[in-house]
Amino acid sequence: MKNLSRRNFLGMVGAAGGSSAIYKTSLAMGLLADTGPMAMLDLQRSDPGRKSVAILGAGIAGLTIAYELERVGYDCTIIEASHRVGGRNLTLRHGDIVDEMGQRQVCNFDDDPEMYFNAGPARLPGHHKRAMHYCKALQVPLQIKANINRAAYTHDTEHFDGKPMRLAEYIADARGFLSELLSKAIDKNAFDQPLSEEDQLRLRDFVRSYGDLDENGRYKGTSRAGYASGGFLSHGKIKQPIEFSALLDSNYWRRGLSSSENFDWGEPLMEAVGGMDNIVRGFVRNIKSPIVLHAQVQAIELQNQGIDVYYNHKGERKKLHADYCFNSIPTHLMKGIPNNFSKDYNDGLSALRPGNFFKLGLQMRERFWEREGIYGGITNTNQRINQIWYPSHGIHSQKGVVLGAYTFWGQSNFFERMTPDERIKFAGDAGNKIHKGYADYIEAGVSIPWGRMNHMMGCGGRMSPEDEKTYFELIRQPEGGHYMVGDQISFHSSWQEGAFASAEYALLDLDQRVRATATGMG
Amino acid sequence: MRNATRVRSIFALIVFAGSGWASAEDVAVIPPDELVYCTVCHGIQMRGNQNILAPRLSEMADWYVELQLNAFKNGWRGTHEADLPGMEMRPMAAALSASQITAAAQFVNATRSPLPEKTIDGDIAAGKRNYVSCAVCHGENGEGNPALHAPALTGLDDWYLITQLRNYRDGIRGSNPADTYGVQMRATVQILGDDQAMLDVVRYITTLHSD
Repeated sequence: MKNLSRRNFLGMVGAAGGSSAIYKTSLAMGLLADTGPMAMLDLQRSDPGRKSVAILGAGIAGLTIAYELERVGYDCTIIEASHRVGGRNLTLRHGDIVDEMGQRQVCNFDDDPEMYFNAGPARLPGHHKRAMHYCKALQVPLQIKANINRAAYTHDTEHFDGKPMRLAEYIADARGFLSELLSKAIDKNAFDQPLSEEDQLRLRDFVRSYGDLDENGRYKGTSRAGYASGGFLSHGKIKQPIEFSALLDSNYWRRGLSSSENFDWGEPLMEAVGGMDNIVRGFVRNIKSPIVLHAQVQAIELQNQGIDVYYNHKGERKKLHADYCFNSIPTHLMKGIPNNFSKDYNDGLSALRPGNFFKLGLQMRERFWEREGIYGGITNTNQRINQIWYPSHGIHSQKGVVLGAYTFWGQSNFFERMTPDERIKFAGDAGNKIHKGYADYIEAGVSIPWGRMNHMMGCGGRMSPEDEKTYFELIRQPEGGHYMVGDQISFHSSWQEGAFASAEYALLDLDQRVRATATGMG
Repeated sequence: MRNATRVRSIFALIVFAGSGWASAEDVAVIPPDELVYCTVCHGIQMRGNQNILAPRLSEMADWYVELQLNAFKNGWRGTHEADLPGMEMRPMAAALSASQITAAAQFVNATRSPLPEKTIDGDIAAGKRNYVSCAVCHGENGEGNPALHAPALTGLDDWYLITQLRNYRDGIRGSNPADTYGVQMRATVQILGDDQAMLDVVRYITTLHSD
């Protein structure tokens, strides 16, 4: 064995233990980054016709489970209550229905494939490895999506005369002033533990570079903020820094400065070319299992062997018996669905409380933001709309769809109470305070209050910290052959990666059980 | 009405067939497609879902369902800023035509589900004494009285009953002069006095379920 190369060694491991053994050994040898087991999800095959699975909900989790299990011989049936596949992965185009409770809308964007709005998930960071894996496996092309754009604005109606400020300017000045303060502290060596001379020098350099300070450790403005004038045919003129006290007073730092620091929002982000629902289409292309739409679950009954799922379809009550059930129905709706789960399990499902995000998309007759030098990214504002997103695709074309509002939790109640037209009017008025004539560019609009969407009534569920200790693990574990899944059963709700991770967890648990049973029988 | 009778006879068959916990096998009533959304919040067979504060409505008298849907539609209910679940309900009723309201009421009336769980405590004996003034309109056994437009009180969630009593007390419900019966109820609720008296009477009402 002394001349055994790594490659030959891995070949031997593979012959002995299959591809997952290669994968695990490669990990151990440091040859592969840990991309999570999904990259090589190695489920034990089941002979066709032997094991059946009922999947409740055709969102990302349900589709993932169908895709993985049917490939290894399980008979899957997907039951979906709504009129469409995809769950909260929803891209709206011309003619699409927004099934809001009591206020059904039809998307009135132009009949043009470039005019679309990702009303659910809209961003994919590269470290969401399961999402990356499936996009690659399903051949869903991705493109870079600008998330943070320093040419976009931060805006506050109460400060700086209500004028929007470029993020570049705000960030440069905030860093400059903070660095200057720190530089002064170094001068006084005002630390709990005095720094060595060497450390002082290093820190001084670090701070000078971080804030772009002058030789004396003072902040006098920087080209990082963008020039006041010139820069090409004449030397650039540095902008006068904003008053530090005004900066502090402005609250801008709550939004402008830290929004780019969230790891999930770190650049570069991605999106599916042509709309996020191309991920859903990718699954549907690759799934043979039947997907029954307009099928609302009426009851879930654990039996000694397997599970009975009752659902209504086309005016008839149907019964589906399966060995296993993967359920992504929003947990807060489960109390309304008859079942014979244990009290603890049901209490756990009830402990997961729904969120209610809200998004609004506006088709603009002209890409006026590009005339302001903004190409993609997000403007933040203290107004109720919170944010304006500029599209990263279709640059320099005539029209574009912007996100005109994005609100979270309690903020969304305000918009939920409005009619769709009132929401567009409100978003237009708010936009006017940031972009001159904003509302006049609006040609069409659509709004999605996730707390009011049929068959969902919420999104991004969370538990209180106490409930999480008591219940999270309980509802992540199966009740008999019934698995609760979806982004809701993850620590990353309202991200597709949460749904992929939850599906992976449940599939690996199932696989372990199946293997254990097979061994036991053998 | 003929519809409701037919559904009831199916229900009777099912009861005699004797099923267990979930009535999963019971073909109680299948909502028409355009009314499925009622059950998204109020639960299958309108069994209620406290998680989203949607009360149990199974078997509720159709005349009362119709009255309340119109109350929502007219803005007598679901317009007070403190009534969050009511505001969630309002657009649902606002979108319904008169004939759709009738159809919804018939559907609700035809639904069947297990009686609700008890979720609140109170002094049953004190509640029984307090109930005397309620019984005048709602009946000794909480069976309701259509002639007085007083709904049955049995089969309702206790958490929903106490919420509504508080809403009447605080003027969140029964404040619109056009809502004649709501205004009457609001005046009557003041007799109950403090919150404990309300809890007691609700606790007593829940004992009427099984009688």
